[in-house]
Amino acid sequence: METEINGNLSPTQPKWRKVAYGGMQLGFDDNHTDESFLEDMVMNANVVRREMVKVMIDSVSISQYLCIVTLVVLVWTCTLGSSINENSLLLLDASLLGLGFFVLLLTSEMLSLKQLLNYVFKISFFITGLYVLSPIYHTLTQSISSDSIWALTVSLIILHLFLHDYSGSTVKVPGALEHPTLTSNISLNASIVASLLIASRVPSRLHVFAIVLFSLQVFLFAPLVTYCIKKYSFRLHLSFSLGLMSVTLAFAYQLHRFLFVLLLSLLVFITVVCPCWLIRIQEYKFEINGPWDEAKLCFNITE
Amino acid sequence: MSNMGERLKHRILMVSDFFYPNFGGVESHIYYLSQCLLKLGHKVVVLTHAYEKRSGVRYMTGGLKVYYLPWKPFLMQNTLPTFYGTLPIIRTILIREKISLVHGHQAFSTLCHEALMHARTMGYKVVFTDHSLYGFADAGSIHMNKVLQFTLADVSQAICVSHTSKENTVLRSGLPPEKVFVIPNAVDTAMFKPAPERLSTDEIVIVVISRLVYRKGADLLVEVIPEVCRKYPNVRFVVGGDGPKRVRLEEMREKHSLQDRVEMLGAVPHAKVQSFLISGHIFLNSSLTEAFCIAILEAASCGLLTVSTRVGGVPEVLPDDMVVLAKPDPIDMVQAIQKAISMLPKIDPQDMHLRMKKLYSWHDVAKRTEIVYDRALRCSNQSLLERLSRYLTCGAWAGKLFCLVMIIDFLFWHLLQLFKPAADIEVVPDFILPHCQHGEKSRHFNE
Repeated sequence: METEINGNLSPTQPKWRKVAYGGMQLGFDDNHTDESFLEDMVMNANVVRREMVKVMIDSVSISQYLCIVTLVVLVWTCTLGSSINENSLLLLDASLLGLGFFVLLLTSEMLSLKQLLNYVFKISFFITGLYVLSPIYHTLTQSISSDSIWALTVSLIILHLFLHDYSGSTVKVPGALEHPTLTSNISLNASIVASLLIASRVPSRLHVFAIVLFSLQVFLFAPLVTYCIKKYSFRLHLSFSLGLMSVTLAFAYQLHRFLFVLLLSLLVFITVVCPCWLIRIQEYKFEINGPWDEAKLCFNITE
Repeated sequence: MSNMGERLKHRILMVSDFFYPNFGGVESHIYYLSQCLLKLGHKVVVLTHAYEKRSGVRYMTGGLKVYYLPWKPFLMQNTLPTFYGTLPIIRTILIREKISLVHGHQAFSTLCHEALMHARTMGYKVVFTDHSLYGFADAGSIHMNKVLQFTLADVSQAICVSHTSKENTVLRSGLPPEKVFVIPNAVDTAMFKPAPERLSTDEIVIVVISRLVYRKGADLLVEVIPEVCRKYPNVRFVVGGDGPKRVRLEEMREKHSLQDRVEMLGAVPHAKVQSFLISGHIFLNSSLTEAFCIAILEAASCGLLTVSTRVGGVPEVLPDDMVVLAKPDPIDMVQAIQKAISMLPKIDPQDMHLRMKKLYSWHDVAKRTEIVYDRALRCSNQSLLERLSRYLTCGAWAGKLFCLVMIIDFLFWHLLQLFKPAADIEVVPDFILPHCQHGEKSRHFNE
């Protein structure tokens, strides 16, 4: 019945228009589907074609940070196994701090003396606070078994790695505009809790102080330092990452064969398998845009 | 069917979480459609959830019976999705009222989805009206689209309020386009009349009525209003509506010292919208997404020239000479307002109102919906297995899950039939209201 009306359109009939007003359009049913149906639909408008090499190079940031965390865990195990004493730990702290400042000075464009003094003041304040608190950390988890502490630490570190902001840094350079995201904050806190848990297992208070300082230095500032390096020169970033990876692998090899294999396979997985995978699943990408999308505002909303 | 020749009298159950005392596009659509269907001689019953103390059965104008289920809303006026919790009561209502067809409204409404599912299980023909647009990108809409796919997989016919909405619904649900009808909203032109006397154009008043939220483009208003006020010293804004973005608008007013030129009235009760509208010359709609936008119709019916963002179904709503459209960006909006101000002398509100009367009427909507009902009833009956195969095509995992949900619903239904046979449920006698109170129509709804 209705379909017949659709079928034999006489030439005098008005054309169907894509309008809602004026009641039912003469000669057309309400379920009439015109040729113009879905003509404004755009498919895969914003899809970026990715290149294998680019993705692989980008994934280096992740491998690099994984290596940094592995190094921290190695230092933890060595300290717990008493193969590093507190003095060498303190030496490590001091040299890391110096090295970090050196890199920041080298890479940032506008680091004035005033800002540097501000940094030094804040860090000395931080170190003093940590020193005062270290007896508390020392006895913090005495009533909990070491196994639980290890299990908790491992899960926190995994959480930290999952939620870490690999493209930026949670601790910002002063004056940075964007705020860190919630997940990166959670990640940072997980790493701090993990280091405090480990610190409560070491033999002396000075140990506690040294190891907490070391962990916090790395977890708080290593992303910032690597971020600055990356911004300064991408080539430097790549060579630094490669060096870091080989150093970590060497240490892991010395400590435990299994750890070495695990780390190596993880690194291969991140830098080779995952990029391949991403490129493979790209072809299934199906994005639909059209007039029904919520309009995006072309200006920033300042609350 | 034996009585194909004469017009079928349907017994329709309208289901949605959104109904009076709430106000909005969906609510008024259901109300006016029901009223007009009643006049056409059909029986209409509305099913919604309880609104605060309003629970149980109520009668509205024209003998419209409303069931307020004793189910409390939990989020944004939606009932908690329970899947099977509503089956017994919906079954009882369907049998008591001798319903022949179930018509669900709005994709957000959980009650609507559940009712349609139960109705299909019990073998009723169902029609679904989609009143909203949805994107495809974010996690929320992906899940919502799956739910819609579930409901629409087995729906007899679907209705959308605009052609854009139809495209959207077809994409989201995978329904064949010929099963989806476009029947727009309408406006009660008797209620939205222009001012009896033409307003003077010495001072131009731009009216905004919307909830002040992000999706309605409140942030656009913050950018547009100061710019327009700067360009035209004789323009005044009146903003009606409340919401989280009201603070931003008030801040803007302070910052640009526009206290005497931008009036913020807060939420406007529905009954006062008309008197509010007729105080202005231009109606400004800044929505970022809109399937249809009844507010534009109301403004046009009051004789206001509309300036709106070109989003969703808005371009289909009015002829080009009754509306000025702009991209949702402040510069373009300001230009559109400029154009509208220059068009103002040529606009005659009374003439516009008369045109709107011809363009939109709820009776027309009801007649067109009637056709959809007839079609739905002509659809063939399908066995459970046939229907399950349709659900199975909805997705690798989702398809199986949907099937499971439907099978359990089917089992529950049979269990209910065992415990409470349909013969034991008392049927409500119909009563015909004398057709003399038409003048009183919509009075109750407006209060």
